[in-house]
Amino acid sequence: MGDIEGSPGSSMHGVTGREQTFAFSVASPIVPTDTTAKFALPVDSEHKAKVFKIFSFANPHMRTFHLSWISFFTCFVSTFAAAPLVPIIRDNLNLTKSDIGNAGVASVSGSIFSRLVMGAVCDLLGPRYGCAFLIMLSAPTVFCMSFVNSAGGYLAVRFMIGFSLATFVSCQYWMSTMFNSKIIGLVNGTAAGWGNMGGGATQLVMPLVYELIKRAGSTSFSAWRIAFFFPGWLHVITGILVLTLGQDLPDGNLGALKKKGDVAKDKFFKVLWYAVTNYRTWIFVLLYGYSMGVELSTDNVIAEYFYDRFDLKLHTAGVIAATFGMANLVARPFGGYSSDVAARYFGMRGRLWVLWILQTLGGVFCIWLGRANSLPLAVTAMILFSIGAQAACGATFGIIPFISRRSLGIISGLTGAGGNFGSGLTQLVFFSSSSLSTAAGLSWMGVMICGCTLPVTLVYFPQWGGMFFPPSKDAVKSTEESYYASEWDEDEKQKGMHQQSLKFAENSRSERGKRIASAPTPPNTTPNHV
Amino acid sequence: LLINFAVLKGGEDKITVTWGLNQTVAAGTDSTYKTIKVKLCYAPISQVDRGWRKTVDDLKKDRTCQHKIVARPYNPANNTAQSHEWTVERDVPTATYFIRAYAYDADEKEVAYGQTTDAGRTTNLFQVQAISGRHVTVDTCSICFSVFSVVSLFGFFYNEKRNAKRPQ
Repeated sequence: MGDIEGSPGSSMHGVTGREQTFAFSVASPIVPTDTTAKFALPVDSEHKAKVFKIFSFANPHMRTFHLSWISFFTCFVSTFAAAPLVPIIRDNLNLTKSDIGNAGVASVSGSIFSRLVMGAVCDLLGPRYGCAFLIMLSAPTVFCMSFVNSAGGYLAVRFMIGFSLATFVSCQYWMSTMFNSKIIGLVNGTAAGWGNMGGGATQLVMPLVYELIKRAGSTSFSAWRIAFFFPGWLHVITGILVLTLGQDLPDGNLGALKKKGDVAKDKFFKVLWYAVTNYRTWIFVLLYGYSMGVELSTDNVIAEYFYDRFDLKLHTAGVIAATFGMANLVARPFGGYSSDVAARYFGMRGRLWVLWILQTLGGVFCIWLGRANSLPLAVTAMILFSIGAQAACGATFGIIPFISRRSLGIISGLTGAGGNFGSGLTQLVFFSSSSLSTAAGLSWMGVMICGCTLPVTLVYFPQWGGMFFPPSKDAVKSTEESYYASEWDEDEKQKGMHQQSLKFAENSRSERGKRIASAPTPPNTTPNHV
Repeated sequence: LLINFAVLKGGEDKITVTWGLNQTVAAGTDSTYKTIKVKLCYAPISQVDRGWRKTVDDLKKDRTCQHKIVARPYNPANNTAQSHEWTVERDVPTATYFIRAYAYDADEKEVAYGQTTDAGRTTNLFQVQAISGRHVTVDTCSICFSVFSVVSLFGFFYNEKRNAKRPQ
């Protein structure tokens, strides 16, 4: 569509190459507005919104945004609902430290698989039903907590509830049907960050619900079970809202989604191949395991840690633990924003440095958290740790879109799975055994964060450089086109399947930082006009 | 201290605890005792792999005795055996226990103690079987809400599919 000269979207007028990846809106020359459409927000030719108005609930775009992040938030609330109540649950079910640790691992493991399946479900049923199905079918698993009698039952239920974290996929998928790709970065980052906040909110709310139920006359061993009805009902209510208020597409038509032919169907195996053979994919899978992964692990252990180490009341420990997760409100977007600012001056090299700095600082503060002996110091260390880790998550997704154009979806999925895997591994190694105190576990986790962040120094883009090396001087290899076109073989190039990648390559020249003006004309690119 | 030895049910069974000053100690030892607090303490077997019940020498950090049975003021002039009947509370977890009585002085500092078991905490232990915390009402509500969730989802889905098939 954009290849024909003169057609909407082909003009490069006004494009300076310095546009932010994260932007609140897309200006008209870059993406033309469809003036015939009657939506509350300006839309492009596919009727995707070009503007992100956070506090609006306008149907369908902003309403979808809110339904989406709220459903993801709900699943975070239920997945981590047990964490602040562990001091009560461990007495009721006679749990040992390894029982508690294993259940924590189970709670994040289920979604490794469910996230992979969710993409296919969204393709089949649409994101609205994908989200509603997951959230309403996992509501019974939350209600099931009331039946649990043993360590095994506790683990099984936490595992099943954890499947619901696949709403991350439906959330991001749904956003991409509603928002133009030029602002999708910020939209998805905000939705993901606000959803993650659920892990913090739950630490605050569950002890409060528990206290209320106890005051109403229940014993402690019954009150925690009844408290789980709260996240259970959140699932049901959010599911019903999604079903009744949501729609798959701006125009509301699910059938059209399946008939969309303008995006050339790519071969799954090829897309997978280019994802797994790109070494950068695996570096970021590891890195995300030590930013998002440690965030999830901390969500699971931090309330119990403060309760035991500093002899706090259950809801005080909950309040402190909540600030960890709630920092996502600003910390994750801050990470993405810092990445963008660095890219403006230093290009991709700046993005890599920002990621390394933020994540390593997070690790350092985590080490301090485990060693802090007084409550004020521990809280300070925890807050700084949360900012470091969550900003690193945001900064990671400032880089991921540039690793590959063809395999972006799979790489994002693999990275997300890496986060959960890192969380499971960390909980297993540091928080499941009595031979290591939770305090020592936190410090060692911090050391591991610093170590596992080092591989980012190995990431190198020939066209932009790496942390320590400048871009290649080779006239061909130093072009963005060469990098992105290398994901297509000659046959595919003959068929012109790589045109979208070339266009992306042109737009990605902003990752050169201040050197854009001196970017050489890439040789061998087919000119758009005679 | 004397107790009945059996598996006690939380919320139902009673323990009768009797305590008094050991008559063999020198006279005047108990002059600083102001309060006696009797507590339920975890036996070593229930502390395994559970760091939140750890025995630590520093009493401020010791987590062995977490459940208070009774607190009574102590009068050295009247140091005959005292006793108290206590119903095992419903928030006492399933575990193996012994009982300890701490004597506190006027500054709330522990100055002496006695316990129902030996120094190694291996003899004369008893078990408590806690309440499960489950109720038939809670279980029923759980099932009803779950069924509601599944039925409303599929109901909505089939309804929408049916409406879509109907000619517009």
